[in-house]
Amino acid sequence: MKKTLAVLASLVLLAGVAGAQAKTTIKLGDNLPDRTSGMGLVFDTINAEFKAANPGVDIAVESYPDQPWQEKVKIYVAANQLPDINKYWSFPGMFKPLIDSKLVQPLDKPYFDKLGYMPGALESNVFGGKLYGVPLTADGWVVYYNKKLFKDAGVAVPTTYEDLVASAAKFRAKGIIPMVTDGKDQWPLVITWDNLTERVSGDYGLIQKAFDRKIKFTQPEFVQGAKLLQQLVKSGVFADDLLVSDYGASRNLFGQGRAAMYVMGTWEVGLAADANFSQEFRDNVDAFKFPVLKSGKGKADDFMAWFGGNIFVNATGKNAALGVKYLQYLGQRWPGLAWEKQAGYPAQKVTPRDSDTVLAKTLLKIGSEAKQTSGGPPSTDRSNAEFKDAIQKAAGELCAGIITPEQFCAKIDAAADKAAKK
Amino acid sequence: MKKLFNNRAVTAALVVPGIAVMVFAMIIPIGFSLYYSLTDWAGIGTFHMVGTQNYLEILTQDSTFWRSLGNVGILIFITVFIQNPLAFILAAVLAKVSTRLSRWLRTLYFIPAVLSVVVVTALWVNIMNPSFGILNKVLSLFTGMPVMTSWLGNPATALGAVIWIIVWQGFGWALLFFYTGLMTVPVEIQEAAIIDGANRWTTYTRVVLPIMFPIISAVVVIDVISSMKQMELIFLSTGGGPGDLTQFTAVYLYQKAFVASQYGYGNALSILFVVVSVGLTLIVQRFFRTEGEVQ
Repeated sequence: MKKTLAVLASLVLLAGVAGAQAKTTIKLGDNLPDRTSGMGLVFDTINAEFKAANPGVDIAVESYPDQPWQEKVKIYVAANQLPDINKYWSFPGMFKPLIDSKLVQPLDKPYFDKLGYMPGALESNVFGGKLYGVPLTADGWVVYYNKKLFKDAGVAVPTTYEDLVASAAKFRAKGIIPMVTDGKDQWPLVITWDNLTERVSGDYGLIQKAFDRKIKFTQPEFVQGAKLLQQLVKSGVFADDLLVSDYGASRNLFGQGRAAMYVMGTWEVGLAADANFSQEFRDNVDAFKFPVLKSGKGKADDFMAWFGGNIFVNATGKNAALGVKYLQYLGQRWPGLAWEKQAGYPAQKVTPRDSDTVLAKTLLKIGSEAKQTSGGPPSTDRSNAEFKDAIQKAAGELCAGIITPEQFCAKIDAAADKAAKK
Repeated sequence: MKKLFNNRAVTAALVVPGIAVMVFAMIIPIGFSLYYSLTDWAGIGTFHMVGTQNYLEILTQDSTFWRSLGNVGILIFITVFIQNPLAFILAAVLAKVSTRLSRWLRTLYFIPAVLSVVVVTALWVNIMNPSFGILNKVLSLFTGMPVMTSWLGNPATALGAVIWIIVWQGFGWALLFFYTGLMTVPVEIQEAAIIDGANRWTTYTRVVLPIMFPIISAVVVIDVISSMKQMELIFLSTGGGPGDLTQFTAVYLYQKAFVASQYGYGNALSILFVVVSVGLTLIVQRFFRTEGEVQ
C-alpha cells in the first residue's frame, strides 16, 4: 500500500513538474512602472485576463520610467534580448530602425481595422504598406490645472500667453509653484516650443517644411517661439528647479497640490483617477487649451495632436505568434478598460459616460473642438535620434539662459542639416 | 612545493585563468569597441565603416567632449588639492583627540561613504531643491531674504553643486586612509624629531608626510580613477545639464551611445577615454614613483 502511494505521489509530482515546464512565459516590457493606477493597472488587468484565457501562458513584465525604457530597448536590441512584446512609440525616428532591422512582427491590418481606431491611428504604424504596431493613445498637448489653487491665488484660467505670464507673480505671492513639467528630460520643453511656434505662425506645417529643408529653422517664427519659451522661464512661470525636475518629480508636485499647472500630454487623463493623489486634488484637476498669443496667428482650437504610444511584437522572439495573439486581445480590451479606469485617452473611439471625470470630459471636448491639428509628431520625433538629442539639449540650454533664441534656432538648423544629409 | 612552482606547465596553468579573464573582460570588449568606433552604427540596423571620422569629429568639433574632460580635470584638482589636504588635517586632529571622540567623529564622517550613490543623490537633490529644499530655507533664514537658487539647475552653480556632492561622499574615504596611515607612523620617530628641536609643522612635513607617502600616493591614484569613472551621480542629478555644463565623459559616452543612438560615435568616445585614463594613470604613477625614489 505504502509503495503504491509513494509511486502515485511521485507521478503527481512529476506531472506537476512537467506541467510547470510546459508553461510559456511571454516577456513584456513597458514604460509604466506604476501598476496601481493608470495605464499600468490597465495593462495588468489585460494581462490577468489573457492569462486566464490561456492557462499555459505566463506574462513576465518589466517596467521602467519613460526615458530609461527607451534606452533599455536600445541596449536590449544591441544584446539581442528584446522582450517578446514591447510598449514603444510609433515615431519614424524611433520605430523605423527596429522595423528595418526586421525586429518587428508585421500584423494583420484588416483585423485591427475592425476595432474602431481613430482615423490616422493605425496609419501612423504602417510602414511600407504593412502594419507593425498597435496604437494605444491619442496624444495632444494641453495645460492641466488645479482649480483650487487658481481660486486661492485669485487667478482666472489663462486663455492667452500674456495671461499665463501675468499669473506667475500671483501664484508665487501665495507660495504656489505656477507651472511644472519634465524639464530634466527636455522633450516637454521642445513640444512647448512647437506649440508656441504654431501660436506665432498659425501653421503646424512650418516645422515639417524646416525638416524637409524647404525653409530654415532660423526663420523669425521659430526664433519668436524660442523667445517666448525662454520668457516663460525668465518670468517665473516654470518652477525654479525646471531643469532638474524629471517626469515623476514634476507630476508629483502637481498631484500633491504644490503646483498650479502642469503642461503635459493628454495621456495624463488618469490624474483625476489616480488614487496616489488626494481626493481634493482629483476633484479639482482640470485642463485648458494651450494659450494663444494676443498678436499671434495661432487659434485656441489649433490642437497639437498625434498618435505616439504603440505596442509591438518582437519578430525574432520565440513567442512571436503568442505575442500577436496578445496584441489582438489587447486591441479589443484596451479602449474600454482605459476609458473605464480613465487611465488614458485611447487611440480608439470611446463612448463618453456621465460618470467620466471632469478632466476626461474636458479633454474630449478639447479634442472635439479642434479645427486644425498638427497631423504629425512633435519636432523631437520628426527626424533621427541624433537630432532629437541635439534639439533637446539646445532646449535645455535655452531655458537655462546659456544660449539665446537665435543661437537655439541656429543649433537646431545645423542639426537638421546634418540629419537631412544622412 | 618549490619544485612544483618551478615547473613551467604548472605556472602557466595557474596564470591562464587570470589572463583568460583579462582577455574576455577587457581586451576583447576594447577590441569590439575599437571596431565599432570606426563605424556609423546607430546600435540598431546596418552600419558603414567610416574610418577615423568619429575620432576627427570628437577631437575637432565636439565641444561637449572637451568640456566633459575639463570637468573631470576640475574634479581631480579639487579632490587632490582641496579635499585631501582637508581630510589629512582632520585626520591629524582626530589622531590627537580622545579615542572615544575620535571613534564617534570617524563614524560620522564615514557615513556618507557607506550610503549608495542613489541615496546620496536623492538626498542632495532634495536638499538643494529651490522650492522646498532645506538649503535655501536655511540660507533665507540667515540672510533675511528669500533665496530661491536652483543649485543644480543654475549654470552658475550647477558644476559646483555636483562636485560638492561628490566630495561630500568621498571625503570619508580619504579621511579613513589618512587616519589609518597616521596611526601607523611610529610615535618614537615623532618624539625623536621633537627632541631634536623640530616644531609640530616641521615634524609633520619632514617626518610624518614622507612616511605616509605610499598612502598619499594610493589616495591620489584612487581620486584620479574615481573622478574619471564619475557617472551615476551626474546621471541621476543633472544628467550633464544644464546644457553640458556638468557633463562628465563617462555620462557623455553613455548618452551618445544609448540616448542619441550614435553607438559608433559613443565607442570612439570610449576608446579616447580609455587612452586618456590610461595615460593619466601612468603619469600619476610615474610621478609618485619618482617622488618616492627622491623621498
